[in-house]
Amino acid sequence: MAIMLILFLICSELQKLHKQFVIGDILSETEFWATRMKLLDDKASRKPKQRVGLKSDMIFNVKPSSDGQSNRVTFNLTPEIIHQIFAEKPAVRQAYLTFVPSKMTEKDFWTKYWRAEYLHSTKNIVAAAAEAAEDEELAVFLKQDDILANEARRKIRRVDPTLDMEADEGDDYTHLPDHGLPRDGSKDVMDSQYEQYRRSFLQDLNRHAAVVLEGRAIDVESGDTRSVAEALARSKQVELANEASDGNVNQERLDRISRMAEIEDLQAPRDHPVAPLSIKDPRDYFDSQQANALKTFGDTLAGTKQMTSDLSTSEAYGSLRESISEIKAVGLRAPIVKSEVALKVLNGLNQNISSTKYQIGKNARESVLDRLPKITRDELLLHWTSIQELLKHFWSSYPITTTYLYTKVNLAIMMYCNVITSVSSFPLQWVLDECEIRIICGQTEGCHVKNLSKATGNILSKCHDPASTTDLKESQSDFRHQVSLLVQPMLQALDAAFAHYDADLQKRSAKSGERPNGLV
Amino acid sequence: MKFQIEDVTVYFPYDHIYPEQHACMVELKRALDAKGHCLLEMPTGTGKTIALLSLITSYALSKPSSLVKLLYCTRTVHEMEKTLAELKLLHRYQCLHLGDAARTLALGLSSWKNLCIDPAVVSAENRDSVDAGCRKLTASWVRALAVENPNILTCRFYEDYEKAASEAVLPPGVYTLQDLRAFGKEKGWCPYFLARHMVQFANVVVYSYQYLLDPKVAGIISKEMQRESVVVFDEAHNIDNVCIEALSVSVRRQTLEGATRNLNKMTQEIQRFKNTDAGRLRAEYNRLVDGLAQRGNLPIGDTWLSNPVLPDDILKQAVPGHIWKAESFVSLLRRLVQYLKGRLETENVEKEGPVAFVGSINAQVGIDQKTLRFCYDRLHSLMLTLEITDTDEFLHIQTICDFATLMGTYTRGFSIIIEPFDERMPHIPDPVLQLSCHDASLAIKPVFERFQSVVITSGTLSPIDLYPRLLNFNPVVSRSFTMSLTRDCICPVVLTRGSDQLPVSTKFDLRSDPGVERNYGRLLLEMVSVVPDGIVCFFVSYSYMDGIVNSWNETGILKEIMQHKLVFIETQDVVETTLALDNYRKACGCGRGAVFFSVARLVIMFGVPFQYTLSRILLARLEYLRETFQIKEGDFLTFDALLYRQAAQCVGRVIRSKADYGMMIFADKRYSRHDKRSKLPGWILSHLRDAHLNLSTDMAVHIAREDFLNLFPPWCSSYGRWRNHKTGGSGKKTLLSQEDLEKVGNVSLGEMLF
Repeated sequence: MAIMLILFLICSELQKLHKQFVIGDILSETEFWATRMKLLDDKASRKPKQRVGLKSDMIFNVKPSSDGQSNRVTFNLTPEIIHQIFAEKPAVRQAYLTFVPSKMTEKDFWTKYWRAEYLHSTKNIVAAAAEAAEDEELAVFLKQDDILANEARRKIRRVDPTLDMEADEGDDYTHLPDHGLPRDGSKDVMDSQYEQYRRSFLQDLNRHAAVVLEGRAIDVESGDTRSVAEALARSKQVELANEASDGNVNQERLDRISRMAEIEDLQAPRDHPVAPLSIKDPRDYFDSQQANALKTFGDTLAGTKQMTSDLSTSEAYGSLRESISEIKAVGLRAPIVKSEVALKVLNGLNQNISSTKYQIGKNARESVLDRLPKITRDELLLHWTSIQELLKHFWSSYPITTTYLYTKVNLAIMMYCNVITSVSSFPLQWVLDECEIRIICGQTEGCHVKNLSKATGNILSKCHDPASTTDLKESQSDFRHQVSLLVQPMLQALDAAFAHYDADLQKRSAKSGERPNGLV
Repeated sequence: MKFQIEDVTVYFPYDHIYPEQHACMVELKRALDAKGHCLLEMPTGTGKTIALLSLITSYALSKPSSLVKLLYCTRTVHEMEKTLAELKLLHRYQCLHLGDAARTLALGLSSWKNLCIDPAVVSAENRDSVDAGCRKLTASWVRALAVENPNILTCRFYEDYEKAASEAVLPPGVYTLQDLRAFGKEKGWCPYFLARHMVQFANVVVYSYQYLLDPKVAGIISKEMQRESVVVFDEAHNIDNVCIEALSVSVRRQTLEGATRNLNKMTQEIQRFKNTDAGRLRAEYNRLVDGLAQRGNLPIGDTWLSNPVLPDDILKQAVPGHIWKAESFVSLLRRLVQYLKGRLETENVEKEGPVAFVGSINAQVGIDQKTLRFCYDRLHSLMLTLEITDTDEFLHIQTICDFATLMGTYTRGFSIIIEPFDERMPHIPDPVLQLSCHDASLAIKPVFERFQSVVITSGTLSPIDLYPRLLNFNPVVSRSFTMSLTRDCICPVVLTRGSDQLPVSTKFDLRSDPGVERNYGRLLLEMVSVVPDGIVCFFVSYSYMDGIVNSWNETGILKEIMQHKLVFIETQDVVETTLALDNYRKACGCGRGAVFFSVARLVIMFGVPFQYTLSRILLARLEYLRETFQIKEGDFLTFDALLYRQAAQCVGRVIRSKADYGMMIFADKRYSRHDKRSKLPGWILSHLRDAHLNLSTDMAVHIAREDFLNLFPPWCSSYGRWRNHKTGGSGKKTLLSQEDLEKVGNVSLGEMLF
């Protein structure tokens, strides 16, 4: 219930619908919410819009707390810490998936992990190797991370060649063993049997920074360690597959190198480099653009008419044909449109799309609604949503198998009339001219709704209410046409519903002729 | 833009040019005309590479009849790729203006490991296994066997390349290693052999120093380069070290043990051949009797690293008779290994000249100097005869033979030093026997003699008169250019104290002081919260960096630093370091910000770099230089000169071009002393204000806050920047356009501006 209240707060439209239908006894509470289950679930666990990245802190680099009495130390692991450990140490993640819970409990697992960490921190490689020899599970933590090593080997092939120091390794022939002068500091000869246990804090630091930079790959919020581990493993696989399929990366890298090679201040001033526009979430994008667009919209209230062109229709058509045939012959060139042109078009589109956000119907040429008075507009939208709601319930009741459904459909049909009644209170007289009367008069005879006459009467009275027609007296006929276009789909949907209802009713009455006992 | 320098039309791929670039081109042009060598010092960030490339290629284009070819040597593969990227830009521009006439072939060349496209071979871990993996598939006898037995694996890329024969050519263009691999994959040809082949025909070849300087490599790769070629050594401030490394070999216990194993294996093989294919050994014997160590023209797949000795010094004589037989050669090597083992057992440091060493070998195990000289050739012949393909297993015996050949060939300029343990860890026995070369001019001499113009260039070559003496050559042009800056795009400061007013330094007595470590930590912490994007910190050594990072971790400073920026660290593992660098760049690029900790190469320079000055090799080299070239230690390798070279290299990375901006902090109290500081490059010193010479941490942070407002280009649009550059605050132009160049006679221009 609390959720519902919150939802009502967030969405006043919903509240209005609820008031209209549930309080108005058309739909039961459960029915109303049944279609919105997803909304309830989703919004309940609604995440903050901004995705939180990983902490830049190395939180797993924690010091244990000790009780000061015994030699016992305690580590506190939070899901965040576990996530970080798994993300940065794939071998630990892998080990977790294989060992827990089949081989050891989670607690044992983490105890072993911290034991291994402790051994590393002592920097006593020989001791670590000795311990690892005795305990093969511990050895997993102590050894170098094979998964990481593979990943590094894969990544090094994709690294910017102008940074690639690894390539020098093989190029420098004096690095043949024992050729050249022994270098200062590199004389770190170690027995190869211990080599695999060597790990430095510096490596951990690098790894940490790299993971943080990559960002959070998974969206698991739960504290379940296993699912975190699995999700991470999965995301790695996805990454791998992406890399394999992504052939463009090479080209991009080459382009970047040649860009980097340029000395920019010797270059003549250039226009801003063109970045490819990629809109991941069009809705978000245009919403954010709306503010800008509306600002300028005031200046260009006359709609998009300002985009005048001195081309005649035939000329425009000719040029279109020309460019199509050119594309057919030559194929697409790298920039299909000149970037200035593209920018102009984009701006135009932005203004259009964002300003018509609330426009109903397929006609997106001009925002009619924005020019209506706010109250009118809101009312129109509310009607639209309530009709949608009703239609949803109407259609979901078919095929009518129970009496309950039958009454529901009847109720729904009745409600249409109500709605239409209230539509009739809509101050646009000409909208009514166009539609309501037709529908109501055409269809309502089929429904045995008692308050039909009342509704019709209502409509008629409202229609002729002089007050409601005053504010748009001056509206032009083309404007009127556009609003009617806007209402058109609403009407069509209603028409369909009524037609279906009629057909069904006739069938039903035919049947009931045979079976006088009525409904199933 | 294009402009004339005397009779040469220079194509330069930008609309403007820095005056120092133009001046550099004029000088270089003179050197090329005079067919002489040249030494150019030009600060980093002034577009040195593009200036050199653009002038030399334009020079070659203007004289189509001459065979001017450019051999551009870089220190590393990534510098090679960068150079090729710039060359691509230039080539595109030249093609735009000249059309097909400008179509040239330019390519990079690297080892098998970087060029191989066979997935099975290239997945091997290091270069030697890639080499061996390749050899196993491409050696002539393997291929011969494969003809009869289809089960024997060969490399399909190599086979296809061989099949294509003379068809296999690279069309004109600029090829980075990556492009070569892509081309190879597309055609199914081995890029390595293709590139090796095309090097002879290319107009520009970019490769690493070793391909020219190291006789082992140069012998197989750079043999056929024309005399008219122009050789450029870029970033050549360390070229003397590369030269001496090319001729130095060291032997350790592991080497000797490995060599013994190799010899056992060879004995077995010889026995096997005796039983199965005795004719083969006899054929080799007969060949040696005829005086031929090499089998004439080897198929390209069989080529080996060449003789470690410089071409002029290789003895053109027949192999001495007593090592003609395979067994007797192997037993001779056994004796040599045994002798070296005995020498390694010493408890004192020993230093000997090659003559004395060879003398004692002769006295003890009866191997004379001439036989030693032939060790390499004889081993090579034997390995081919035994059809050994897993060359990575036989590196140890190869090292021993290289050692023997070098020792037998050179009597001066080298010394043999035996150290029973590392000076810093006297309790761990780690004996090493080093044959070290002291004379950098030996390795580079053939290059100066073979090619008519050699250009040595770097950001820091001062004192510029030192290099001709070190490398023993006479440059026709030797110039040092300064950097012209219109605005203060760098801000060097010297920090001597922490916020607590205690001095900071990496001087030996202060190095491990926790107070100093804490002060360095606080400095970095303050900086990360103020400085946008990236910070690079240079530490004086690995062990110091490791220590300080761990102590920062314990005291929690690291944690605080990480709250502001990500931390990446250079480690001894190159793969990891490369990835860390790549990530660092990404983090700076995306606005996340990062700190990179590196070892002496803010940039914050923690302390003064120090050389491990007690190194005996260094001392021996100093002695040699003093006696032979009259170069005083003070001129060459003192503390100060090193500081100069290394610190300048480090902080030189602050700006990549003049459009960049950055701040550099020298955090050591010793930088405040004038005699030390004056060794820093002029372009840094000129920006070092007196008020910034003796700062504490809080003052430095204040300056950083202020300066990042000032250093940021106040002009945000590129147009603004351009205009500001052109008009310049000081009235001196720092960017020249084509009209500027045409207006002023280009001869006087260089002088006028400097």
